Amino acid sequence: MNQWLDERLHISRLNDKFLRKAFPVHHSFFLGEITLFSLIILILTGILLALAYEPSNSLVTNSFDPGTSDKPNLIPAAYHSALKINAMPFGDMLRRIHHWTANIMVAAAVIHMMRIYFTGAFKKPREINWWIGMLLLIFTALTAVTGYVLPYDNYAYQTLKVIYGIAASVPWVGEWVAQAAFAGKFPGAGVIPRIYGYHIMLLPGILLALTGAHMLLMIKQKHTQPQYAKRIAYKKIVGVPLSTQQTPIMLLLAIMFAAIIVLFSAFIPVHPIEHYGPPSTTPINNIKPDWYLLWVFGALAIIPSFEVHLFGGLIGAEFVGAIVVPTLFLLAMFAVPMLDRSKDNMYYAENPTNHPVRLAAGVAFMAAMIVMSVAGYKPELISAGILNTANANTILWILLFLIPAVCYFGVLGIVRGIRTLREADQRERGAFSPADD
Amino acid sequence: MTRYKRKDPEITRRKFINAAMGGTVAVGGISLLSTLGTANPVFRLTRDKMPPLKGDVLVHAEESKEGQIIKVSELSDQLVRAWPMGKGEDGSNVIRKGDPNNILALFRFPKGQLVAPTNLEATVDGEIVAYSDVCTHAGCSVADSDQGDGMKCPCHSGQFDPKRGCIVTGGPPPRALAQLPVQLDGEQLVVSDFFLAMPYPYIAESEWESFKKEVEEQLA
Ligand code: FES
Repeated sequence: MNQWLDERLHISRLNDKFLRKAFPVHHSFFLGEITLFSLIILILTGILLALAYEPSNSLVTNSFDPGTSDKPNLIPAAYHSALKINAMPFGDMLRRIHHWTANIMVAAAVIHMMRIYFTGAFKKPREINWWIGMLLLIFTALTAVTGYVLPYDNYAYQTLKVIYGIAASVPWVGEWVAQAAFAGKFPGAGVIPRIYGYHIMLLPGILLALTGAHMLLMIKQKHTQPQYAKRIAYKKIVGVPLSTQQTPIMLLLAIMFAAIIVLFSAFIPVHPIEHYGPPSTTPINNIKPDWYLLWVFGALAIIPSFEVHLFGGLIGAEFVGAIVVPTLFLLAMFAVPMLDRSKDNMYYAENPTNHPVRLAAGVAFMAAMIVMSVAGYKPELISAGILNTANANTILWILLFLIPAVCYFGVLGIVRGIRTLREADQRERGAFSPADD
Repeated sequence: MTRYKRKDPEITRRKFINAAMGGTVAVGGISLLSTLGTANPVFRLTRDKMPPLKGDVLVHAEESKEGQIIKVSELSDQLVRAWPMGKGEDGSNVIRKGDPNNILALFRFPKGQLVAPTNLEATVDGEIVAYSDVCTHAGCSVADSDQGDGMKCPCHSGQFDPKRGCIVTGGPPPRALAQLPVQLDGEQLVVSDFFLAMPYPYIAESEWESFKKEVEEQLA
């Protein structure tokens, strides 16, 4: 039977190419796998949720609280179905798992990228995979945001309004873009079906295609080798093959990961849609985006208001804060592989401290992101009396430049210090060792 | 060598295929793009989406009292949210909440506290004033400030002073909230004209003017 299959499908080639792929033995290489497992869990729980979800924002009578016949209690069908999901056995749990896994997927992807950046694994020949990885990160965030809107409670509604406003703030074409993206003027009758289409068809499709490309390239180009591989067998691939050694490790990791998420979801509730209620005009105090978009929110909060009219278009703070600034940050990340001019292919993961400037720049970049995220808490900082409306922007702007600068030079200093110590150490040892060593 | 190569039928065939593929991609791409047109549905200006109009009655927007007519005695220096309620095509009452940007903020201050640039002509006795409750920054609904005076937008802490025409007193919003002229008709608060300035989401006076025209034409 094996032979029969092999003659037709060339399994042995598959075996050589894929199943024998060597995986480096180092825990930091699990981050990508965790991201992948998250995607799988998300798809599985997403399918289950989709079976019970009703993608429509038309009003229906609330079956839990129907009101009276002359004044029925009408709520959007999507919100109603989310309430029903919460009421079904393990329905709330399903929503929680889906929600927390999405957050973890973004987190794992971010840490995975940090690993790649700090060890120089984006260098030739892996630039393309860095770019695909960036696209994966962006589309993951977009998928998460569209998912956010689907329960269509008041929180989702207010968020959607801001997203619509941001899309509409693009000069010249904004209004058209926003209406095309969200099925008409906010809140159009078809806005939930539209976002549902994005969330369960368009964006997951893109994610799966990109993930496929990402992994094929990774198999073709091989992982970067951890440092110890250099000592064991120079310029040889060291690691354990996917089949059979890596597979049990992966399975173990996947099961452990799933278990942790389920445990997590059992104790930490998600976004309580009952609390926020159906869409209404009551504003929600301290509404915030998810943590990975908080920096954009912070940028919006500290950019002072201005308006420039240019050829009949309007360039305003919204557009600059929510579109121009994030684009610049993302472009900087896209440009990372271009900073490296080496002609040779990279084999070994580098020690970050051997590349102090890259390390310091990365730390400074993350510090800037964190300061911007903190700026997203401006209203709270003001309410708590730490800042006041008059000085909040100035102070946050100063911090936005000061803290990354301090981080940059701090890291450089520390790394140089460690290096001088190490060199002095070596010199000393050299002085005491025999000359013929 | 090159002379022979140019005559090589393999090359011409490849060129032909490349050109054909390029042409197909271009035509196909353009025709696919044209389907994108369906992404943007036609906007129908129904009565529930029209802005507050002359003659509209102001009703409560708060969920528990939605649709009830607002009484003067219910107003104070604390914000009261209201919808304009007008007549539908068949003469029945229509709350104009099809466009969430129609939400209004009502205040009543002791005489003499409302000052310029508030348009006092457009208030009731210099006491009751109505504004658009939609922040000119990114369109959040503005609330009473949690630090005493005025209004504060919960989104990016824009601040407005409702006693002075809702001018911006802090934060990022670019413009004051638009004032809506109101008058008293018996017990009811009634809208007496369009917003005095362009409300959110308009960014150019001309757009707001042409929208007003469109509304008037459709009603005529
Ligand atoms: S939306 Fe009101 S301050 Fe930004």
